[in-house]
Amino acid sequence: MIEVSGITKRFAGRHGEVQALQGVDLTVRDNEFLTVLGPSGCGKTTLLRIIAGLERADAGQVLIDGRVIRSPGPERAMVFQGFALLPWATILSNVAFGLEVRGVPRREREAKARELIVFVGLSGFEDMLPHELSGGMQQRVGLARALAVEPQVLLMDEPFSALDEQTRRLLQEELLGIWEKTRTTVIFITHSMEEAVLLGDRVVLMSARPGRIAEIVDVPLERPRSVSVDSIETSREFAEITNHLWRSLRTMQEPVMPE
Amino acid sequence: MTARGGLGTIRHATPRVWRGVAASPWLYRALTLVIGAVAWEVSARSVESILIPTFLETVDGFVRLGADPRLWEALFISNQALVVGFLIALVIGIPLGLAIGRFPTLERITNVYLNILLVAPMAALIPLLIMSLGLGFASRVVLIVLFAILVMVINARTGVRQVDAKLIEMARSFGASELQIWRRILLPGALPAIMSGIRISIGRAVEGMVIVELLMVSVGIGGLILSFRGRFQGEMLFATIFYVIIEAFILLGVARWLESRVVRAAGRTGR
Amino acid sequence: MRPRVPVPGFRVRLAFWPTLLTVVVTAGLWELAARLANVSFIPPLGDILGRLWELTVQGQILDDLAQSLTNLAIGFGISVVLGTAIGVAMGLSKKVEAALDIYVYALLTTPTLIFAPVFFAIWGLGSGSIIALIVLYAILYIVINTAAAMDSAPTQLLEMARSFDAPRRTVFWRIRLPAAMPLVMAGYRVAVARAVRGMINGEMFIAATGLGALVIQAGARFDATTVLAILILIIVIAYLAIEIVGFLDRRLTAWLPSNERVGGF
Repeated sequence: MIEVSGITKRFAGRHGEVQALQGVDLTVRDNEFLTVLGPSGCGKTTLLRIIAGLERADAGQVLIDGRVIRSPGPERAMVFQGFALLPWATILSNVAFGLEVRGVPRREREAKARELIVFVGLSGFEDMLPHELSGGMQQRVGLARALAVEPQVLLMDEPFSALDEQTRRLLQEELLGIWEKTRTTVIFITHSMEEAVLLGDRVVLMSARPGRIAEIVDVPLERPRSVSVDSIETSREFAEITNHLWRSLRTMQEPVMPE
Repeated sequence: MTARGGLGTIRHATPRVWRGVAASPWLYRALTLVIGAVAWEVSARSVESILIPTFLETVDGFVRLGADPRLWEALFISNQALVVGFLIALVIGIPLGLAIGRFPTLERITNVYLNILLVAPMAALIPLLIMSLGLGFASRVVLIVLFAILVMVINARTGVRQVDAKLIEMARSFGASELQIWRRILLPGALPAIMSGIRISIGRAVEGMVIVELLMVSVGIGGLILSFRGRFQGEMLFATIFYVIIEAFILLGVARWLESRVVRAAGRTGR
Repeated sequence: MRPRVPVPGFRVRLAFWPTLLTVVVTAGLWELAARLANVSFIPPLGDILGRLWELTVQGQILDDLAQSLTNLAIGFGISVVLGTAIGVAMGLSKKVEAALDIYVYALLTTPTLIFAPVFFAIWGLGSGSIIALIVLYAILYIVINTAAAMDSAPTQLLEMARSFDAPRRTVFWRIRLPAAMPLVMAGYRVAVARAVRGMINGEMFIAATGLGALVIQAGARFDATTVLAILILIIVIAYLAIEIVGFLDRRLTAWLPSNERVGGF
């Protein structure tokens, strides 16, 4: 279980200080798929990075199973928007990277990597280089790399934003399928309402300036959702939740008109 | 922080970047200087050769040379060829480079030459220059032109080539004439590359100036160095070298300053 | 302050037919000029090529050629080892960078040949002077390119490694070093061309051994044919040297997609 309490973070911006996060409290349950949604500047990525241990909060703390965390650790793994694959390494080597860092001997980590390559549907591509793969495939490599270290928590930073619409839908389906099998705790950042509702058990809606949690919406749609994305998206419940989110988001976006 | 390209550009780090360092960078630079000077002094003393002066002797020579009219005469003579040569390279090189960049046929023809000239050591042409033009001012100027012109041409060419082709198309679609395209799109677009070409070219011209006088004609700075060598005045020879370093430093500093001013001015007017 | 040298896209690939055409036309024009002008400094092309043949295949200058190439190899080798070490140190440590940056810059802006009398004073007529000069010609470009290359690892990759809690060792060997290879190799390519320059200039100054000395001696005899023949030889050597480094470059950075290749010599 992840407990986020009182997280505050300030950045020095060009025109003075920016309050990226203010007093953010959040509890993430085990094995839950949590999506975080919000306009740009709401601090969702900052929050994820603090949980990942890549940034330090100015105030507040993050507890994982009761332990305070301040830096990256073996129970968390991250998937990046820009894929962050080593361009000079093969797919196999890339997937094995997390294990390599943990000191797992070569034979073991390569075996594990091969397993995961099959798991994400990339059999046959082990010896290729990242630039020979499409964007969608590269992100599957990123996912495989994160899953290889068997993390307790998977942190995903808008992982499908850099992909085109069709690829994104395919990967969403695949992610849902993979998650059904692993049931890892996931914190998934997105700026798409549809994606947030489709994937998540709960949607955390954040607002900007200062970054806070505006509301948390339950998504009681049936699991497994991978069965048919299309039928889910046309269901009435889906539309209701998505609309609700849009109405909330919209008030955040509306600029304050000068008097 | 300005980070621009070109040979020898320095990226200036403001003091607040120096988080992990205890003191200002100048401390380390001074440290290197001190270590270098001491090492020099010690090794020069141990060798005891007339031609290898110690650090202190060189400093002394540096001061004496500054007051010596021979230095300034030599600089004057050398720099005459430098200025003339550089200006010729400028006047011929830039239009040539622009033309090559603009007209693909011309580029295809000249490509071979440019590639060869890039790797050919110009100094090896010196005997030919002497045979054809003799030992005077003309051959010095020609060599300096040869040294300086290549970079100018290439940079002007690159400058034109990297102008967004869509802008040219856009202008054509509005019926712009060739002259208008040059004035409003190609020249402003190529300006940064041209300016950096000028800067590099000055460096090459100074190199040419020195090479000419060390290898070809014994006048000016080169001649001074050779005469000090002939008279076994090691400290004066070394001191002369430092003056050349200073001159190169100053000239390139001016060139960089000019480059940044022109590029910024061009950027501001939006041309 | 760190001197930066991006390698500009100088060389456009040589297309076959236009190159051939230009070469043939040039040869023709040269011959014409040679016959018409009949001056000593424009010898006929045939004479030049004939002399080149004599010198190389018939072995008249093999000793000097060997001498030059040996100096080049040793000088360039020292530059690579020393230059890469210094460049890596400057790239990784702000203190080292601070200590050396203005001196590197000063040496860059100074015409390198001016140090030839200094080396001559120390090592006299021997190979030492020439090798020292070659090192000075080449090493600066290796230093600044390598130093810049240390910074060229994409931030996102460094972050990714941090997210896995990777130790600094791993980050260096698996990320910084491979990411640096393209720029480092580009530096070597520039440096080898500079090394050939330094070799010739140095040999011409010291005028004792090597191809440069031959050029000077031929010049003193007003023997333009030999001068041009040796010039062609030098150009060929320079081209070969650059191609060898280029070949190594392509092997070591085979993972780079072709449109991202660092341009240059």
